Amino acid sequence: MAKTFVIVGASLAGATAAITLRDAGAAHKVILIGAEPDPPYERPPLSKSYLRGTSPFEKALVRPSAFYADHGIDAMFATRVTRIDPTSRLVETEDGRRIPFDALLVATGGRNRQVKIPGSHLDGIYSLRTREDADRIRAEMTPGRRVVVVGMGFIGSEVAASLRLNGLDVVAIDPSTTPLFRVLGDAVGRTITALHHGHGVRTIFEDAVTAFEGTERVSSLVTRRGQRVACDFVVLGIGIDPVVDLLDGSGVIVDNGVHVDQYCQTNVAGIFAAGDVANHYHPLFDRRMRVEHWSNAMKQAAVAARNMLGQRVAYDEVHWFWSDQYDANLQYAGFHTTWQRLVVRGSLETGNYLACYINDGRVDAVVGMNRAKDVRRMIAIIRSRRPVDLDQLQDESVDLRSLHRLVDEKRPAASPMS
Amino acid sequence: MPEFRTVLKTSDIPPGTLVAIDAAGGRISVANVDGAYYAFDDTCTHEQCSLADGDLAGTTVTCTCHGAQFDVRTGQVLAPPALVPVNVYRTRIEGDAVQIEV
Repeated sequence: MAKTFVIVGASLAGATAAITLRDAGAAHKVILIGAEPDPPYERPPLSKSYLRGTSPFEKALVRPSAFYADHGIDAMFATRVTRIDPTSRLVETEDGRRIPFDALLVATGGRNRQVKIPGSHLDGIYSLRTREDADRIRAEMTPGRRVVVVGMGFIGSEVAASLRLNGLDVVAIDPSTTPLFRVLGDAVGRTITALHHGHGVRTIFEDAVTAFEGTERVSSLVTRRGQRVACDFVVLGIGIDPVVDLLDGSGVIVDNGVHVDQYCQTNVAGIFAAGDVANHYHPLFDRRMRVEHWSNAMKQAAVAARNMLGQRVAYDEVHWFWSDQYDANLQYAGFHTTWQRLVVRGSLETGNYLACYINDGRVDAVVGMNRAKDVRRMIAIIRSRRPVDLDQLQDESVDLRSLHRLVDEKRPAASPMS
Repeated sequence: MPEFRTVLKTSDIPPGTLVAIDAAGGRISVANVDGAYYAFDDTCTHEQCSLADGDLAGTTVTCTCHGAQFDVRTGQVLAPPALVPVNVYRTRIEGDAVQIEV
């Protein structure tokens, strides 16, 4: 029977779900609603090629603009959903429309965190999430201008690299000892510091901005330790908060995002979530996690769509993402928060390494710099959730694919002994 | 007129591997899938990485930069972020010579 599927969030996740649902049957009604004016686009270029002006916006579109109408997807852009009513099974938009659904996907993503310190209202302070954000920063990107990047997570690190590559004078500030410290730790983080120093970024670590100064427009900032840094503009990269306001009063459990099970379903039947907003149960790691990356947005949304269609498909993807900074390609696979051992294949000093985060002899996650092939080969090992020989893991003469076979051989025989 | 040109010896490409060569003014990747040879543009249509630096599994090549996958037989995209297929070239074996039509 034909159903009405409503997707809130015209993002990579939202578009992927819409396309998956459309492919499933022509009779279904698929409605894609997004707050942004543009058709769904991929965000990775916003901090890299699009920001630098080396790649047009059209290249970031998930599908060409005309695709949605051509494929019978009812697309409503520049439309914000303000409320979800699970009893009447409809969504309400800001402009007063009420749209009924049989199944609903929440793919609202996140919004940038704001700082509330003196001067944070000044002009010339930006953050980056949308095309509009990127365009505002681009308008400031004249070579030689002085920018301070506040927060050296993935967005901050990529923005610092892009601005530096375009000839701006970049100072980066982060409360940790290194960039990407929270995820990658100090030893790996220092390789990212070296990368940025090598390209002429000045860094201020273990310090934080306490005030922005200027009249109308920011002209300097002050740190907790008393440094004053003059600047022409500022980019904040201090993370996102999931967009969940529309679920207020809906009964859907929200805690650091929308809680969903491995089938991408919330506690309310017929309501699903995917992408940055989804705090999902991961069967492989037996825990909840919320992941803010491109690959998850796409893959989780496709699985969510299949579950909306009544298929029972568990989402158990080994999370994977990349970050390009200057000419370095950083890739991460798996999931970890703490680790007992860090096993390094290659050399942290030379910036060519695979670093493995080990707990109980198992590889929970890996990060590679200019080691894309190694990272890809480790995904099967991470997925196996079985201990590996750490000496062999470290040994460059051992092919990582044979390591996987060794893992397989250690698996107990499938046939029961009688 | 396209014509078959010898670009490699069969012994240059062990089964399950990829080799990139310069031909016809571009870079072309040649894959050996269990004795069958396939040729396609080496440059990933996503962000211009070399597909020969990628991983070959069966008839699927995975670009290591960002994970796009292509069918080496047809050039078809099997997994994003690439959306545009890669060009493919006809191949043939003459003795121990791998020839591609360019």
